[in-house]
Amino acid sequence: MTDLSQYLPILIFLGIAVGLSALFVFLPMGVSRLTGTHNPDAAKLSEYECGFPAFEDSRSQFDVRFYLVAILFIIFDLEAAFLFPWAVSLQDIGWAGWTTMMVFLAELALGLVYAWKKGALDWE
Amino acid sequence: MIGLTHYLVVGAILFVLGVLGIFINRKNVIIILMAIELILLSVNINLVAFSAYLGDLVGQVFSMFVLTVAAGEAAIGLAILVIYFRGRGTIAVDDVNRMKG
Amino acid sequence: MNHDMSASLLLVAPELTLTLAGLALLIWAAFFGDRHATGISIAAVAALVGAGALTSLAPAAGGNAFDGLARVDAFSTFAHVLIYFAAAVAIIIAPRFFRAHTPGGHGLMRAEYPILIVFAAVGMGMMVSATDLMTLYVGLEMNSLAAYVLASFIRTDTRSAEAGLKYFVLGALASGILLYGMSLLYGFSGTTNFAGIAAAMGADFSGGLVFGLVFVLAGLAFKISAVPFHMWTPDVYEGAPTPVTAFFASAPKVAAMALTVRVCIEAFGPTTLDWQQIIIFLALASTILGAVGAIGQRNIKRLLAYSSINNVGFALIGLAAGSEAGVAATMSYMAVYVVMTLGSFLCILQLRDAGGAYVEDIARMAGLGKARPWLVGAIALFMFSLAGIPPLFGFWPKFLVFDAAVRAGLLPLAIIGALSSVISAFYYLKVIKTMAFDEAPADAPQWTAEGNAVETGLIGFTATAISPLGYLAIAPLAYLSGNAALALFR
Repeated sequence: MTDLSQYLPILIFLGIAVGLSALFVFLPMGVSRLTGTHNPDAAKLSEYECGFPAFEDSRSQFDVRFYLVAILFIIFDLEAAFLFPWAVSLQDIGWAGWTTMMVFLAELALGLVYAWKKGALDWE
Repeated sequence: MIGLTHYLVVGAILFVLGVLGIFINRKNVIIILMAIELILLSVNINLVAFSAYLGDLVGQVFSMFVLTVAAGEAAIGLAILVIYFRGRGTIAVDDVNRMKG
Repeated sequence: MNHDMSASLLLVAPELTLTLAGLALLIWAAFFGDRHATGISIAAVAALVGAGALTSLAPAAGGNAFDGLARVDAFSTFAHVLIYFAAAVAIIIAPRFFRAHTPGGHGLMRAEYPILIVFAAVGMGMMVSATDLMTLYVGLEMNSLAAYVLASFIRTDTRSAEAGLKYFVLGALASGILLYGMSLLYGFSGTTNFAGIAAAMGADFSGGLVFGLVFVLAGLAFKISAVPFHMWTPDVYEGAPTPVTAFFASAPKVAAMALTVRVCIEAFGPTTLDWQQIIIFLALASTILGAVGAIGQRNIKRLLAYSSINNVGFALIGLAAGSEAGVAATMSYMAVYVVMTLGSFLCILQLRDAGGAYVEDIARMAGLGKARPWLVGAIALFMFSLAGIPPLFGFWPKFLVFDAAVRAGLLPLAIIGALSSVISAFYYLKVIKTMAFDEAPADAPQWTAEGNAVETGLIGFTATAISPLGYLAIAPLAYLSGNAALALFR
């Protein structure tokens, strides 16, 4: 017979997690009903609220502007891939490594400024 | 036991598939972009397998650079494809033939 | 910052200057747009000149930067200066072309053009000083990614977009092949450093390393457009905007050729007999196909594409010798080739009809000799020099590579090269005859004599350099290229 008491922390954790997440889901719903902003429409009720129906033929065409956002996302996705090994080895590479990464981040930021000014971030 | 050879064979197969994807494909330029990614990822499998086998980190660092360049290449490829499509209204491979010598 | 780091940064000062300039210009372009294109172009040329001046900081004995990732020596400096010169010319000739009113409606010069050239120049600088596979790859791709965009720079022109697409697909395939070879070299030698690879090859040149060498050379052959990996060249040269074509034919060629030389000598040094066969094959195929392929071309840009393939073949003859003299000859060849090819493209940029549209069709150039005799004279000078006809300076580097090949015991290679030179001379003669002596057709364009002081000056400069006066430059050229070759065989 194992000692069930050693599972107490995880039980408490699960209880709090379920409670909090239930609160996050139901509190806004309740508040919106009470304050009168409960006004469901087709877009709000769709699964991901991203402009795409969740279930349809996967061969359908979609807007080329999504590609632009995806391209910008990939750049910063890879930046994160560089940041992880940098972060765990920062003790060893010291200030030289820190400065190098800051230069890299600054270059990416300049690129973002350019894309922003060119209107790549505007949907319309 | 899965050893270095197995990884290299997978890498070689993917590389050949990528090259064939560029040359045999007659339908769509997007598929060529995917074939290019396939080539670069086959190289990454090679690099990481060698890196693990040799116990040397350089291969993994190299594969990070390859990933970065692959992202840049995909971005530029898509951008060129979009302006090509705007001008011609098609991305079929057989239609890429304005110039003949 | 420790001492190593600052010493390394000092060694790559030209690249740092260009990177900082490129980023600053990018922000300038973002905030002020195409209205400031002229200012941005001038600043970009100034940055290239400044970076060229900074190459003189390179220590005479050469120096390793970043723990052997790159090496700055006489060889890299020689290539740097050529690359920056060609890049600066490519920026200078652009505004007039892009501003011209053309049927395609190209519109204004865009501010991004000089910035892309600057970034490409950073990549090319990295390529020629790379002594590690990683530096090589990143430099090559920095140049290639900028080049793909430049090829499709006129967004409304379907030919330009198609050129960009073809260049992109085949360039990416070439990078993939090169990269696969590099992964094999790394795996079977255990290092990405050129010296380490050479040591591993000297110890045991086995299966994996053989495949690595073959794949790497195939990828590099794509980048220098040597036959049988040349198929993209004519289409890309024809479709890309003319200033961009001039750029492709000059700077990246020098960079890729210098890279090939360094990889062959420094990384594959112990296996000279093995790579020599491949280079000999590439040289033979390029000289012959470049000469034969030019026959029957109706578009002058396509013709120059085949001429560049032919000339790359000649430069490879020097490398095929595998000797110090051979490498010096190859570098001299690239120096003279850059001047000749930029001069030819400068002349083509003057061929505009009354409406301002550019004429590329050779048949329509009949009768040009009456309207613009000086221009036809300059074109004849450049074409004969490209073919290597003796009184002109284009003959001298051809003589050098043949001499190096004969000394290395490659007499048949030199003879076939000389024969292909005769074929191309014949065809250039036909083009000049069409321009100078044929009657103008009924639909001949009304040639404008409207000139541009800077471009005329550049034509004058390049024409003087390749005229017999150029022989005065033999001594300094031999000194510089000799030093460059010595740096590789140290």
